Parts: sequence; C-alpha cells; structure tokens
Amino acid sequence: MISGEKLVQLVSSLLQQVYALLDLSAYAGILDRVVCAVVMFGFVAVFVMFLVWMERKVSAHMQSRIGPNRVGPLGLLQTLADAIKLTTKEDVRPAKRDKIPYFIAPILAFVATFMGMVVVPFDNKMVVADLNIGVLYIIAITSFTVIAILSAGWSSNNKYSLLGGFRSAAQIVSYEVPLVLSLVPVIMITGKLNFSGIVQYQQQAGYWFVFPQFVAFITFIASATAEANRAPFDIPEAESELTGGFHTEYSGVKFAMFFLGEYVAVVVSSAVAATVFLGGWLPPLHFLGFIPGFVWFMLKVLLIIYLIMAFRWTFPRLRVDQLMDFGWKVLIPVTILNILVTGFVVLLFGKGA
Amino acid sequence: MTDLLLSQIKPGGESPFGTDEYVVNMGPQHPATHGVLRLVVKLDGETVKETMPVLGYLHRSIEKICENRTYPQCITYTDRVDYVSAMSVNLAFALATERLMGLEAPPRAQWLRMIFVELQRLASHLLWMGAFAGDIGALTPFLYGLRERERILDLFEMTCGQRLTYNYIRIGGVMIDILPEFVPKCRAFLDYFDPKIPEYEELLTYNPIFLERTKGVGVITPEVGINCGVCGPSLRGSGVSCDVRKQHPYLFYDQVKFNECLENDGDCWARYKVRMNEMRESVSIIRQCLDRLEPGPIETKLPPILKAPPASEIYFRIESSRGEMGIYLVGDGTPKPYKAKFRCASFSNTFVLDQLTRGWKVADIMAVLGSLDMIVPEVDR
Amino acid sequence: MTNDELKSKIESDFKDKIQSAVLSAQNEVIVAVKPEAYVALCQELKEKPGYDFQHLSCLTAVDYPKESKITVVCHLWSYRKCHQLTLKLDVDRVNPKAPTLERVWKSTNWFEREVFDLYGVVFEGHSDLRRIMMPEDYTKYPLRKDFTDDGFIIKPN
Repeated sequence: MISGEKLVQLVSSLLQQVYALLDLSAYAGILDRVVCAVVMFGFVAVFVMFLVWMERKVSAHMQSRIGPNRVGPLGLLQTLADAIKLTTKEDVRPAKRDKIPYFIAPILAFVATFMGMVVVPFDNKMVVADLNIGVLYIIAITSFTVIAILSAGWSSNNKYSLLGGFRSAAQIVSYEVPLVLSLVPVIMITGKLNFSGIVQYQQQAGYWFVFPQFVAFITFIASATAEANRAPFDIPEAESELTGGFHTEYSGVKFAMFFLGEYVAVVVSSAVAATVFLGGWLPPLHFLGFIPGFVWFMLKVLLIIYLIMAFRWTFPRLRVDQLMDFGWKVLIPVTILNILVTGFVVLLFGKGA
Repeated sequence: MTDLLLSQIKPGGESPFGTDEYVVNMGPQHPATHGVLRLVVKLDGETVKETMPVLGYLHRSIEKICENRTYPQCITYTDRVDYVSAMSVNLAFALATERLMGLEAPPRAQWLRMIFVELQRLASHLLWMGAFAGDIGALTPFLYGLRERERILDLFEMTCGQRLTYNYIRIGGVMIDILPEFVPKCRAFLDYFDPKIPEYEELLTYNPIFLERTKGVGVITPEVGINCGVCGPSLRGSGVSCDVRKQHPYLFYDQVKFNECLENDGDCWARYKVRMNEMRESVSIIRQCLDRLEPGPIETKLPPILKAPPASEIYFRIESSRGEMGIYLVGDGTPKPYKAKFRCASFSNTFVLDQLTRGWKVADIMAVLGSLDMIVPEVDR
Repeated sequence: MTNDELKSKIESDFKDKIQSAVLSAQNEVIVAVKPEAYVALCQELKEKPGYDFQHLSCLTAVDYPKESKITVVCHLWSYRKCHQLTLKLDVDRVNPKAPTLERVWKSTNWFEREVFDLYGVVFEGHSDLRRIMMPEDYTKYPLRKDFTDDGFIIKPN
C-alpha cells in the first residue's frame, strides 16, 4: 500500500544511493533539502498552471461559456501557451521608474508567497521543513507580499499603480490581523505551532477543527481571500477602477510573476486551511484510508480553492472604505470573541474540548 | 516625538506631511468608461474632490453630415448615434421626419416598430446590466446579459440582416416585413426570457455587497435631477414621472397597457431597479404588440424625392433605451434637412456626474457612471 | 391645455417680453423672444404655475447666413402639464452674444458650451465656456453654414 511516508522513505533511500555513488554522503542533510525544494518548486509551478486553467474553466462554467478547449486535451495546455507568450514578450518598462524596487517587486511577490509552501505537510512526514513554529513562519513570510506590492506601486511611477499599492498596503495590514486571530483558537486547543502536530492532534481527537471552530474557518477563508487580493477583495488591482492597480506597468515575465504569485498565495492559504481546519492528509471516513494521504490533502486544497474561485465570479467588489470596515468592525471582533469563547471552553474542560 | 512633529505644523495648514491634490486622468482609454470618455478626477487620497468629464473623443459631427444628406440617407447615420440602441434613434428620426412632412406609417408598420424598439430596449438594458455589474466588480452578469442579448440580435438579424446598425425603421414604414416564423420565435424568446429576470435579480438585487455599493450612492434628488436635465430611467429612479411613452404617446403606446417604473430613492440601486422593472414592462408590451399585429402594408407610398415644407421645423421626442431622445429638424424646402439636432439622453445625464461624485470614493465614480447608463457615441455624436 | 390655448395664454401673459408667438404647421408653439427679456421670460416660464416648464429638453442653434443671424432655440417641456414650447432668440451672426440660462436651468451648461463650440455663440455669464467637442485650440465653428476646412468636402449627391 502506497502512502506518503513510504514514498518519502523510498525517495530518500534512492537519494542516499545516488549520494554514495557521487561520493557526496557527507552533505546528505543539505542536499536533501535542496532536492525537496526543487521538487516542491516544480510541483507548485505545475499546480499553479493547472489552477489558472481551472479558474478559467470554473468561470466559464459559471458564466455558461465553454472556456479554453483548443490547446491540448480540454485546453489543459492553454496556460503553458500563455506562459510561453508571456516569457517571450517584450519587457516594457516605464522610463521614469525607480529601477531597483521595480525589478525586485515581482520577484519578492512570487518568492515570498512560494516560501510559505515549504512548511505545509502533504502527508505524514511528507514535508520540506517540519518547523515547530510553522504557523508563525507562514504568517510572517506571506506578509512580505505587501512590501512587493507597495514597491511595485511606488516604483512604477504611475498614479493607478500608486493608488493600488496604497490600497493594498492598507488591506493586507488590516486583514493580517483577523487571519492570525482565526488561527489562534486552534493553537490554543492543540498547544502546537507545528502543522504536522495540528493534523496529528485532529487524528487523535477524531474530529476536524472545522466543526468546533467553524467561525474561525469562515473568518480565515475571508481574510485569506483578502490577503491574496482576490475578488471580492481585489481592490488593489480593481480592473474597472484602476485598470490594473499595482501591476499596471508590468509586462512579460514580471507580470507573470505577479500573476503566479497571486495563485501561489491562494494555494498557500488553501493548504493552511486544509491542514488546520480540514484535517490535512486525514481521510474523511476511516475505511477510506486506503487512498493515500496526499491525495486527500490535495482534494481538500482543491475544494477550498474552488470556493475562493466561486467567490470571485459571484460577488461584486467592495469599496475601499467598506473593505476596511468589514475587516476592522466585523472580522476582528468576531475572531476575538471566538478566541474568548474558546479560551473559556479550554479552561473549563481542559485541552481538546 | 509627537510634540516635535506637531510643533512643525504651521498655522496656515502646512504640515510636514503636506497633502496635495492628486489628479488622475481616467480615459480616454480606461476599462470602466464604456468607450472613450475621459474623466479628469481630482483626488484627496481616495476621496473625489472633482470629476471633470472631457468629451469629444468620439465626435463624428453627425449633425453636420446630416445637413448634407437627404432625409432617407440620414437614417443610416442615426444608427451610429447610439449603436447600443440603434433602433430607437432610427425611430426617432423617422417619426420626426414623418411629422415634418405630414406622413403617417400604416398600422402594421407602427406595431412592428414598437416590437423592435422594445426588443431593442431589452437588449440595451441587458448590456447595461452587465456593464454596470462589471463596473462594480461582478463580471458574471455581463456574460448572462450578453447571452440573452444574443438571442434578441438573432431576431433582428433574421428580420433585417443586421446585428448592430439596423437601418430598419425607415421614413414611412419599415424596411421589410417580418418572416412568418418571426412571431413564434419572438414568443419563444419572451417565454424563455421571462424567468431570466428573477434569475439576475437573485444574483444581484439583494446581494449584500451589491447593496452596500449601490444603496445611498450617487443620490439624485428630484429637484437636482430635473434642473440638471437628467432624464429617462435615471430620473425615474428619483420618482419623477417622465416617461415620454406615457406623457406624449407616439406610435400606439396609448393603446397598450404598461406601467411607468418609478423608484423613490434616487440612488444607484433605484436606477438599477427601474431598469430591471422596465425589462419586465417591455416584455409585456411586446406580447401585446404581437397579439395585435395584423396583416397589411408596411410602408406608405412616399414621393420620389422627400422634401420638407419650407421654413418648417419639428422637435420630436421619444423614450429611447437611455431616456429622452429628441430630434430637432428644420426643413427649408430642399431634400436635405437644414438643421438636424440630436438631443441625447447620455449627454445630459453625464453632466450630473460631477455633482454626484464629489466627496465620494474613486470606486463610486464607476458605480455612478455605470448607473447613469451613458454611452459615449451618444454624448459626442 | 391645448397648444392653441398655450399660445394665446403666452401672448396675453408676456406681451412685452415676446416678439411673436405662432402655432406651427406641426402644431408646435414657437415663441420668438426679445433679447432683453430672454432670461426673465425663461425664469417665469419655469416657475409660474400654469406653465411649469421645469425641464429644458434641448438647447441648440440654427445658422441663417442669408439673414445674418443665428437663432438660439430652446425646447421646454413640462413634466406636470405635459406641454411643449419652443423658444427662439435671434442673435447677430458677426458678433453672436446671448445671455446664459445657466441660472434658470443648470442643464444648459453643456448645451450652451456645445452651441458655443459649434456655432460660436458667446453666452455671457456662463461659468465655464470652453469648447466641448472640438479640440481646445480649434478656431472655427463647424456647424455654421459657411464652414470650410481642409478635408471637409461636400460631395454632390
């Protein structure tokens, strides 16, 4: 029976042999990490391409269209074709840009979100870096996008970009708070900051945190959507108001970086939600355990991503002040209340109530 | 630290964090201005201080062209005045010319005109609904609107061979009679379309975000609306009864039953609601017209050269999809109009934009502009 | 109120403010206004009960080079009474000047700008008299009958 743990063992024993062959066994620890990172990068890149296709198909379905169906089977290679188009495009740059931030911004946007993926466990033991402060790490690292967007908005020397950048700064800073606060109850119950630990706790407890912490799940999804700048919270790039917002002046590869960064952010948020609230690699019912854990994990991630996509194609966009109101006056009080209630319950019934 | 900063603030309002007006140039190429309208917007942060529409990027001097064309030739140009609702302008010009020359189209032609103008109103409102929802960030309704509009355009294409600029309603009648299968097809479309309106309403009308974005935004009071020349559905959203079809009936609008749709709030949501209800009324009007359609001639016999009487003039108004559409014609005894003026609803509706957006946010410009249903070719002509 | 009644009512009420009031062959009441009474008449037509012309539907102009005049034409409509009125004001073609109606109906702002742009009629007292359709640096008035420009050719039919 194949499982994530066995797969990891198999690959690592294979790697050991390769190291031995190349006489590099002394560096095995570091090399393992490097291989993991490369595999992860490849996986995420392909997965994001799939997501772009999926988004098009989902939107097409919701709008009673067909969607891409020309390139490859079911149009699956459409994104690849787009990627080739974007990479071969001329890189048009504004003449009066602020050169260094303009160059760094797209890289930062992509890398910062991508780095979140390394602490998410795909299956038991199937994780690049099983940090024991994984939750803190992911919150810290994904916040880097705000710097990227702000510097993109500033350095483009374009008024729309600047407005978009400032909107984004306000938005991400405000929604970071409920995002963190909605993870706190789970941390309080489990007493762990490590993603694998949270999943194992759910395994032992026999339930997923989405049930006792449904409010936290909802607030997390809402703030994660805002963090990823997706509709209905996509005011930084609000197409009908600011043309493209912070990425108005970007083209070619640099635009692709922002574009992919947005999708990676969605993947990271969904992966965290799946791990923390939906039991990560655990099967929903016990007898379904014959299906490997990473398959379950990916299914859960896709479910949440579908949800976020459905938001985008259903709702209108909020106005900037309404967005702030929603963050500060609705989400934050609700999450704080949730923390208080959870705290009482934990205090009364002990951990795991 | 705070004291230090405060001490630097000079009494004249100059602070170390001095703020400045921020002028953003929206358009002529901008995804939200529905064409080539240019808005020069003065901003204080996100707050709008002034919106200055700059017109003329689509000025094709149709009025000058019309002065140098014969009356039947002008009909072709009227299509281009409002290409989203070309039938209405066709109709306005044809009716004005007929009144000027004392002609009258036969009843069948009148009923046909009503059917096509109301279908056009449906098509135009559908496109408006999509564009309005798109302006405030919901992209899906646009596709739904286009899906139904497509079927209306198919009906038009079936009859006159055109999908955008029809040139169908002519002086003295219509271009060509409908095909025998038109009536069943049109009825089939109406039956299909009826349940679609609640579907859109379900998607938008009481959506909390939609309400948040449109309720209380861009309020036109009746006094301001009338004084600034707002007309059509935009003014009816403020509760002013101004439907030309009711007030000054043309064609056979006095013989069909329909309600004038009024809302009292005068905000974007009210304007949206008026248009949604108007679609329902249009469906009912078309049904009644189809019932009363009888065989007969479709055009009157016209003189070989159409000439207006010398020193004659007419100002004729109809209710187009966007509101009051007026045609002012001056005849001088020649086959060409001495003066042709198109009074377009979008032109006067856009004027009020500055007043409605002052003090609101950037995003509200789009909501208000969308709710006024302006289209640039009508503004610039 | 029929158009005939409206015409006689205007004739009796505003004897000193109008030059003539006629009922045209197309059954429209056309009133020629004395220039000095133009704004006052409009104000009264708007506010006086019995007239109630709250809505200025259209303001435009017609060029008559043979008579050396430009006629400014206003079309008024009453939402309450449902009647229509045409006002005409003749201005000199060489030095066309007319008072603005902006204080009566705000909507005339753009209509008058358009007439200024295309006919060159200067509306005195207008708050923002700039070209509206043509480029700001354009010098001619396109809707005048004697308009010529490079590229503007009237082909015979």
